Amino acid sequence: MTTAEFGTHKWGMVVDIDKCIGCNACVIACQAENNIPINTQDRVERARSISWIRVERYWEGDFPDAKARFIPIMCQHCENAPCEPVCPVYATYHNSEGMNVQVYNRCVGTRYCANGCPYIVRFFNYWEPVWPESLRNHLNPDVTVRSRGIMEKCSFCVHRIRRESRSARSAGTEIADGAVQTACSSACPTSALNFGNFNDPNSKVSKMKEDKRHYTLLDQFGTDPNVIYLAKIDADKKVGAGEAATHG
Amino acid sequence: MASQAVAHEAEHHAPPPNVDADIVARELIATTSGASGRFKAWTWALGILSVAGIVALILKFIDQGDDSTKWGYVAAMVSFLLSVAGGAPMVAMAPVMAKANWVRPITRIASLFSFAGVATLIMLIPLVAILPPLVTEGARRRTVWYMAPDYSPHFWTTLSLVLLLVTGIMLFYSAALPDFASMRDHSSGWRQRLGKRLARGWVGTDSQWRTLRMRIGMFGTFYFLILVFVNFLFSTDFGQSMVPGWRDAIFPMYHTVSGFQAGVAGVVIALYFSRKYMKLEKYIHLDAFWSLGRLLFALTLLWIYFFYSSFIVFWYGRSENDIATLDLQIKGPMIYAFFAGMILLWFVPWWILIWNKVRRGTAAMVVGSFIILIGLLLDRIRTFVPAWSVPGDQIHEKWLKVIPETVWPDIFDILIMAGGISLVAFIVMMMTRVIPVLSVWQVQEFNLLAKPIRYIRGHATLVAKPD
Amino acid sequence: MQQRRELDQVYTNRKLLNGQLDTPKWWLPTVSILGVVVLIGVVVIAIMVNKGLGLTGLARPVYWGLFITTFVFWVGISHAGIMISAILRLTQAEWRRPVTRAAELLTVFSLLTALVFPLIHAGRPWRIAYWIMPYDVARGIYPNIRSPLIMDPVAISTYLTGSTLFLYIALIPDLGNLRDRTTGWKNAMYTVLALGWRGNPRQWKMQTVGGILLSALMLPIFVSVHSIVSWDFAVASAVEGWHSTIFAPYFVIGAVHSGVSAVVTMMALMRWLWKWDDFIRPEHFDALARLLIVVATGWLAFTFVELTFALYGQDAPEIALREMQMFQWPWNALFIVFFLTGYAIPVPMWLFKRVRTNIALMFWTSILVNVGMWLERFLIIVPGLARRTPFVYTWEAYRPSPVEWTIFIWSFAWVTFLMLLFSKFFPLVPLFEQKESQVFTDDVMIGRAKVPAIVREAD
Repeated sequence: MTTAEFGTHKWGMVVDIDKCIGCNACVIACQAENNIPINTQDRVERARSISWIRVERYWEGDFPDAKARFIPIMCQHCENAPCEPVCPVYATYHNSEGMNVQVYNRCVGTRYCANGCPYIVRFFNYWEPVWPESLRNHLNPDVTVRSRGIMEKCSFCVHRIRRESRSARSAGTEIADGAVQTACSSACPTSALNFGNFNDPNSKVSKMKEDKRHYTLLDQFGTDPNVIYLAKIDADKKVGAGEAATHG
Repeated sequence: MASQAVAHEAEHHAPPPNVDADIVARELIATTSGASGRFKAWTWALGILSVAGIVALILKFIDQGDDSTKWGYVAAMVSFLLSVAGGAPMVAMAPVMAKANWVRPITRIASLFSFAGVATLIMLIPLVAILPPLVTEGARRRTVWYMAPDYSPHFWTTLSLVLLLVTGIMLFYSAALPDFASMRDHSSGWRQRLGKRLARGWVGTDSQWRTLRMRIGMFGTFYFLILVFVNFLFSTDFGQSMVPGWRDAIFPMYHTVSGFQAGVAGVVIALYFSRKYMKLEKYIHLDAFWSLGRLLFALTLLWIYFFYSSFIVFWYGRSENDIATLDLQIKGPMIYAFFAGMILLWFVPWWILIWNKVRRGTAAMVVGSFIILIGLLLDRIRTFVPAWSVPGDQIHEKWLKVIPETVWPDIFDILIMAGGISLVAFIVMMMTRVIPVLSVWQVQEFNLLAKPIRYIRGHATLVAKPD
Repeated sequence: MQQRRELDQVYTNRKLLNGQLDTPKWWLPTVSILGVVVLIGVVVIAIMVNKGLGLTGLARPVYWGLFITTFVFWVGISHAGIMISAILRLTQAEWRRPVTRAAELLTVFSLLTALVFPLIHAGRPWRIAYWIMPYDVARGIYPNIRSPLIMDPVAISTYLTGSTLFLYIALIPDLGNLRDRTTGWKNAMYTVLALGWRGNPRQWKMQTVGGILLSALMLPIFVSVHSIVSWDFAVASAVEGWHSTIFAPYFVIGAVHSGVSAVVTMMALMRWLWKWDDFIRPEHFDALARLLIVVATGWLAFTFVELTFALYGQDAPEIALREMQMFQWPWNALFIVFFLTGYAIPVPMWLFKRVRTNIALMFWTSILVNVGMWLERFLIIVPGLARRTPFVYTWEAYRPSPVEWTIFIWSFAWVTFLMLLFSKFFPLVPLFEQKESQVFTDDVMIGRAKVPAIVREAD
């Protein structure tokens, strides 16, 4: 599958912090879509829970002026990813569409990639995943079920991208803007999460990227991520949770 | 039966000259006088070049004393001289502590390089005046002197360099005492008077010898510690600190090790010329070149190791700091200095020194040493010139955002570089007129300790190893 | 100090071969107990490989913990071999003679143990065979040599191969000796292994040249192995406390410190257990301790420089990490113990000749050093990972689980077990080196003083 077949796509996300209300719908949608193991209480307590997208909440100020700042963080699909050169088996690499892909069947689980990631968005399967009987039929057939010992992370719902490109190819058209939606972006009630093709100057995300409020996380690491954040502007013009997460 | 008659080059051991102690003393002291016409001509030429260099330094200070970006070549020169003149005495000291015999002919000539530390000090003085204080425009730049006063780098670097000079001279003097006594006993004229003055009643009693060895051990250790300290301070305060974002923990060590490499190269060159032109083949055996060659080879490998260690971390890291550092030192015309340094300091010496034949000869060793010195100069230019070319108003930033233009040497810089190197050579040559270039007592001691014997059917040397 | 002894060949043979020709009384019980511990460890490893890494204490963001620390520790210990046998052989130091084989053995066995850890710490160890050998040529994908985790096994396996060859070449003359003193199946085994050793000048020349060539070739490898292991950490710019250019020589000199101390421990044990008082003398411990002082002080200088440049950047996250590593519980307690045991207690003690020549004190101080050096690796690897990242979500602590501790203890039992097994069949002190030292030494009168002397080749 070459670049020519998919056209010149560069998949990316624009996250508008101003619109995020911290509802966590994206987290649940991602969980359901990608066959992520159940995060039991034990796993959460032992910091082994897996959530490819997470919504971090920071409190600012004191009662009664306390404000909650939300920032959804998922794999940033960095152009200059620190996780890629260190994988001994090429289980993670940068594909021609600007995504950092994880190849599950090559991964041996050395966890070196996770050490390199400054955003801590890579997760390791410490146990074999177990689903209760009732959830067995809820697994998404398009997504690999990972066994223990494998690293996983947000894949920009690559199975959805593949599905759309197959349909577009058989119909003889290009992928329309907005035709591919990741699970999180389609679940988001406020359209805080927007997914699209940065290479298309007319796409929604390309236009959103030009916003004056745009920034990227932890840019002192030089990772050149494909996830752009738009900072929150308070009614009284204070800058919000975005600043808390950038370098200091 | 254990290894009989194993004729492997690595295990040969030079027999002692086996000459009577008096004859040794007289022959070696005779080398201090009777300089040939060629020697005198060279000394004059080097002296004139040295003076020209110092004059150029003064003129540059008057002309460009306010612009720190133009002083990169002088900083590179100080680093170069520190490496050569500072590293050379280590050759005298370290193997002595390890009780090696091959180093005996070399100790004096290596020690003489301590006096050449004067050249380093002369070059440092204008730099100290021009180095910006730690706080410029209200912001403090990155430095190892975290909370210390603003002029700490200036003070401590100068102090440590002076200490290095003093310790080197004290190390020389402690080891030269018996030779001054020999001069008192065997020479005439002003040398005899000088020897009497400096020998301070040396007669060679047991306690005097014990004190001598203790002093050599003590000053030697101090010298090593201060040398490491000076390298650390100079490379950081006058190099790394000038570039925002350049955080390289290995750079001081790299600077020190390449200093040792240059020092050994300098000693090889001095040894070659002394042996050839003062006709000292009887005393300076090829064994010395063999061992120095091995040392130089090991140091060459160590150099590439330190060099590579820093670059792999920067290249892999790819953060803003890392990329800015790499761009500064490798982009633009500096890339030639970068590759030249690598080729001349590692690749060529490796392929020259790896052959046994080369290490057992002299000519190829000298050629290799010259190549190393040229490579070191280029490498120092690569690190210090871009560092100093960062304008004063940017050195307190978080990282380097604008790569400054490459600074080329002007006529002052060229004269200063030529003058500095000439001054080192001049000082060493002049010192050989004052004291024998080979340590008399070391040779005499070697005669006592080593005896050629017949071993079964071959020849061997019986070397005594006193505790 | 030099302590020359006149030891004839019969006595040398009988004493140094007493491990092979008759078994010491303590040997069987010790090996049995160690064998049981080894077995327990293997069973625990098997359970962990079967059930999953959930049995460890690892969690986000500490993805590497006890296993990698112990891996680095054993690689560090392996550096003693080359330091002592290669470097001291090339510089012709006489005091190396009883020490060389034990040091080389320690290298080989600790490398074998070290190699286990990267295998078992991975999520799918059975898959790792794919990337060690054979390479996955079928899909056209070779291993990623840009990754330090591939450079690691290349370096370590090269080192292991070289060290094994080195050990073997140095062993051949003694194998010939044993062949001539045994009968039955042992004789058959030694005959095969001795490769037809006759002890004529041609064979001696080849053996000596082979040893020297290998020594010279191993030296760059010795430096590169631990440097490559250190680059596992140094290349990660995201982890504070890891991204420092000085890691390579810092780790190497720490490895020499740790390894030579391990050799001291071993030498003391060998002297006591096999009663080799005539061969392993206080002068050897004196020389080793003096080497250790130099190496340890060099290591301290590197530690100081590393810390200086960590703070030099005035990076808030880096400074926060160092504060955590040195001043916050539980890291502060570990830090104090590390510094005391790694340097502050042993090295000042070694400055005194009384201590250097006291074998019991040398034994205990060398063990202290290795406790400290293991903690040093732990304090480099884990606090960096356990740092407070910019994201509050990922602040967690690391508690090693009993499974990890069991495997840690297993590694020590395994190395000792292997050494003891080896000692049953091969002498731990090289006989020919001892005899060579007898032949190559003499006494010389200089004036009225009698001075020990060595015979060296002339031109």
